[in-house]
Amino acid sequence: MFSRLGYMLRETGASLRRNLTLTLASLLTVVVSLALLGTALLVQRAVDNLLKRWEGGVEFIVFMNPDATQDQIDAVQADLEDNPQVDKVTFFDKQQAYDEFKRLYPDTPELVEALTPEQMPTSFRVVPADADSDLIEAIGSQFERKPGVFAVEYAKKAVDWIRTVSSFLRWGSLVAAVVLGVGAVMLIWNTIRTAMFARRREIEVMKLVGATNWFIRVPFMLEGLVQGLIGAVLAVGGVWAARQFWESRVIQSVSITELQQLQVTSAQFTGVALLLLVAGALVGAVGSGIAVTRFLDV
Amino acid sequence: MIKLDNVTKVYNGEVTALRDASFDVPKGEFVFLVGASGSGKSTLLRLINKQEDPQKGEVWVAGKSINDLPSHKVPYLRRNIGSIFQDYKLLANKTVFENVAFALEVIGRPKHVIRQQVPAILELVGLAGKQDRFPHQLSGGEQQRVSIARAFVNRPLILLADEPTGNLDPATSEGIMRLLDRINKTGTTVVMATHDTKIVNMMRRRVIELDRGVIVRDQARGVYE
Repeated sequence: MFSRLGYMLRETGASLRRNLTLTLASLLTVVVSLALLGTALLVQRAVDNLLKRWEGGVEFIVFMNPDATQDQIDAVQADLEDNPQVDKVTFFDKQQAYDEFKRLYPDTPELVEALTPEQMPTSFRVVPADADSDLIEAIGSQFERKPGVFAVEYAKKAVDWIRTVSSFLRWGSLVAAVVLGVGAVMLIWNTIRTAMFARRREIEVMKLVGATNWFIRVPFMLEGLVQGLIGAVLAVGGVWAARQFWESRVIQSVSITELQQLQVTSAQFTGVALLLLVAGALVGAVGSGIAVTRFLDV
Repeated sequence: MIKLDNVTKVYNGEVTALRDASFDVPKGEFVFLVGASGSGKSTLLRLINKQEDPQKGEVWVAGKSINDLPSHKVPYLRRNIGSIFQDYKLLANKTVFENVAFALEVIGRPKHVIRQQVPAILELVGLAGKQDRFPHQLSGGEQQRVSIARAFVNRPLILLADEPTGNLDPATSEGIMRLLDRINKTGTTVVMATHDTKIVNMMRRRVIELDRGVIVRDQARGVYE
């Protein structure tokens, strides 16, 4: 059984090499399309990570000083809750703040280790009754000067631009991925057709001596699968390199900006990588399987 | 073993290759199909292994009607029918051994069985010792013997031969015919389409003559005429 597999893989390699230009063209398209898909997925996850803090309609956050007194905290809380234009107030204590911090910066452990829960500021997550940005700013600015308040952060300023940019990025790369994906499928289609033409005598004999359709199909599906898988592996490599670049240049940089919160955990990355591998293998195998059936006409 | 019942085959809605053909071939018989080019001989053979389907009439193989045989069962029909052709249809990049073994691999026979059966059949057809040669290193007659070995290695019920001596000289043709005769004597039903008058006259078997798609003669122990 393994000798057969080895034989089949060798034949697959020989067939792919025979038409190297076509194989490389289809491989390249697969790589780029999967890499774009992977990037789109990672950007989406990173943005979700970032936006977690702002979910549920939270429009501004009042950060208290780490050393604010309980009276100051209570005062701010009372003021927020009494305000008719405030819908909901959620308090984040130091441990919660620390947990969130760990979650926001998953791949910069040095940053996380540098701080302790004690040093974290408590905060109030505020959902206003009306999402009008001027109104929000008006309410928020009231609290900026209150005793014990460290700062007030606005959703609009912090994340709106990221939301827009990432949305654009995500849809852009998805569209590009789909277009290239179609191109990749067409190229794989052509590779298989060429391979089938080159092997037409063998296929004719196979049909005459009574080979089942699957027996004829499988070597070609293997060819497609190999192409898809190699393409996916290269795509994963590319996306990984991009992520490394992002993390080393942007995230490790000295200045702290919101961009640094655009991270994905290793688990999320592995998830996307596996997805790409499966997608590549599936598209390769299924695409070539369909191509063979169409040109087989038994 | 083979039965055609009022079979009509039309290509592309225009060319009638076979018109209302009927005959019955019992098991173990040797039948010559004779007639001019285009008379329908090849079409008839292709109808038997379901490379073509009739427009009218019914085709029976081994007692079963194959008209409505689903396409996924066709390979199993073909495993019971060995086919040889004028151009041998060997794979140029495979050795004699590999060409014959192909027929066994395709049906999933294990390696040790293949290693036994292939040399045996090569001996039977008179090619012992040539198993590592490539087709281009063989004469026409030897190549045809390889084809016959491949067609017969699975001991099919039927052997279809489409002008097997077409590219061979008379002496070699005679050798091939003797081989086919031996195969027929093991109980294999043989249907052979041919132009070769000498061979038909020599063998004196059943002759079915076709003229422009119509069977005009069906004679036991016939000659070419």
